[in-house]
Amino acid sequence: MIEKTGVPTKEDIEEITPPKEIREKQAVAVIECYKEIPCNPCYTACKFGAIKEFEDINDRPEIIYEKCVACGQCVIKCPGLAIFIIDETYSETEATVQIPYEYLPLPKEGDYVTALDRAGRPVCRAKVVKVRKGKHPNMTSTVTMAVPKEHSMTVRSLNLEDYFADNTIICRCEGITLGEIRQLISEGYTTIDEIKRISRAGMGPCQGRTCRHLIMQEIRNATGQNMEDMLMPTFRQPTKPVKLGLFVGGEGDD
Amino acid sequence: MTKTASVVIIGGGISGCAIAYNLAKKGVKDVVVVERSYLTSGATGRCGAGIRTQWGTERNCKLAKFSVDFFENANEILGYKRDIEFKQGGYLIVAATEKEVEQFKKNVELQNSLGIPSKYLSPQEAKEIVPHLDETKILGATFCELDGHLNPFHTTEAFAQAAERLGVEIMTFTEVVGIDVEGDKIKGVHTTKGYISTPIVVNAAGGYCRQIGDMVNVDIPTYSERHQILVTEPVEPMQEPMVMGFSLNIYTQQVPHGSFLIGRGDPTEPKDLRITSSWQFMEKMAKTACDLLPALGKLAVVRQWAGLYNMTADAQPIYGPVKEVEGFYLAVGFSGHGFMLGPATGQIMAEIILGEPTTIDVSDLDKDRFARGELVLEPSVV
Ligand SMILES: Cc1cc2nc3c(=O)[nH]c(=O)nc-3n(C[C@H](O)[C@H](O)[C@H](O)COP(=O)(O)OP(=O)(O)OC[C@H]3O[C@@H](n4cnc5c(N)ncnc54)[C@H](O)[C@@H]3O)c2cc1C
Repeated sequence: MIEKTGVPTKEDIEEITPPKEIREKQAVAVIECYKEIPCNPCYTACKFGAIKEFEDINDRPEIIYEKCVACGQCVIKCPGLAIFIIDETYSETEATVQIPYEYLPLPKEGDYVTALDRAGRPVCRAKVVKVRKGKHPNMTSTVTMAVPKEHSMTVRSLNLEDYFADNTIICRCEGITLGEIRQLISEGYTTIDEIKRISRAGMGPCQGRTCRHLIMQEIRNATGQNMEDMLMPTFRQPTKPVKLGLFVGGEGDD
Repeated sequence: MTKTASVVIIGGGISGCAIAYNLAKKGVKDVVVVERSYLTSGATGRCGAGIRTQWGTERNCKLAKFSVDFFENANEILGYKRDIEFKQGGYLIVAATEKEVEQFKKNVELQNSLGIPSKYLSPQEAKEIVPHLDETKILGATFCELDGHLNPFHTTEAFAQAAERLGVEIMTFTEVVGIDVEGDKIKGVHTTKGYISTPIVVNAAGGYCRQIGDMVNVDIPTYSERHQILVTEPVEPMQEPMVMGFSLNIYTQQVPHGSFLIGRGDPTEPKDLRITSSWQFMEKMAKTACDLLPALGKLAVVRQWAGLYNMTADAQPIYGPVKEVEGFYLAVGFSGHGFMLGPATGQIMAEIILGEPTTIDVSDLDKDRFARGELVLEPSVV
């Protein structure tokens, strides 16, 4: 799979995910090196002996979590940009994810950006909590973002644009922003049906095709509800807008 | 989880929320509203939310007038921070048969005698108010500027939030599954979220009121019937009043947001609890609408849905206690106009429950009037 898509599978990811007991206790490097290749700078970069000595240069790196101090040296040395530091102890609800970042411009600390998954899909809003600039212009910088804890093993990249800003319009038919939806959720409207009725989000010509999922994500982010368990509004006919006159002989269609 | 309430109201529609608000306003503590889904999930959230004072019986005129007066100031009275969207663009009720002409003239006389400023209009005069009306399809019309429509979600929310501020507990996504009666007295209510012990239960379950009646072995003489409705894309304002015809079988209004809501009744509709949508409705509705208001043919329909009317034999609600079970009250059978009666329902039911004299006499709207054969027939309904 990964040879074709460049994106690791769920099983691939499970294999490299640090055990829960470790994640609950300490910040730790996550090495997402899925293929045997002749490469070992992570091993030579680690001053703490947290990466086992390679028997063969083609070996995949093996990490000894107890020895990892999350210093980030391996992150900036890995030529494949395959190492990340996650810290699930960051706060009650949030984790940080430190990623190697080789684009310019760099984000600034305090910025809100859009956290992306391994396939480049937006996951959530992230706050940039630290930017470590490479010593030389050609050296890797790292960016540390705070994200909801459940995304610590999902977020692996960022887009500088803040897709999830309050002023982002998520219901295009009715012009309703994420901020308005967040406000409603904070007032206790925590089902799509209720939000739809109070705000009209999802009542327009597209009938919620765009916004429904985004609203569900917001509800999940705010309340922790599982998206699979959420009650869906009824899907109503007609599936696309039809001129009333069409039903009586087509006069209505210009 | 067991709790104790002084009153449990079953149903989180306009009726249940308005009753709760009025009880709490009168100082009743521990009022609980139990709604099996979200607020307005029943008929209230599916209705046209039109309100008219142009009725054919004195009491309906009074109940509706009371409600209009309330709605005019409801945002302030209820302290609602959003807007219930009361658009007072009037109701234009069109007559298409000689019988209607006659009835409407009588209605206007009655209405005027009760201080309702309705008037009888010629087809031409009607067209001046609604320019896209095909006046050749009608014989006359009546118009009253007090009438209009609201946003049912916000109106119900406004009552619910005001009630909550006064201490009412509203349990959504909680279904009543049984009611305990001991020696003909209400004892408590079983819900999917536990038992509530209470001496008083108010059945405001709309189309499902008979199922609640069954829980206490009280047969409620109403039946439920699907009514369908559709909404178009929003367009520039082009129609001020609600346009309604009984024999033509249509009501349609343009809501402040710009969409048209268009509905009709179907005399062949079976009496059951279905709320599915049908293509037959769409066809018939399109025909009726395009006949009377040809410009509507150009508008795209975005969505159709349905809700339940809870009908009585005289098209008037049932208000009050029942003889069979002490502590069991009914606010049901609204026959397609329970939304507009909401404020009156709330006030009067609270008065009845507290044993106070009622603002408007509804003593003959009891459940047993049908058994006695004393119907209070309302002639002007869709
Ligand atoms: C298409 C249509 C158009 C209409 N147009 C108008 C109009 O223009 N003007 C007007 O005034 N009226 C109109 N009506 C009528 C109006 O909608 C109703 O009369 C009114 O909403 C009734 O309100 P309610 O609170 O009594 O009942 P509902 O709004 O039906 O509320 C009853 C509630 O009880 C809940 N419930 C049922 N069983 C249980 C249980 N076991 N446990 C817990 N909860 C339960 C239901 O979920 C529901 O939310 C229309 C109705 C329809 C269907």
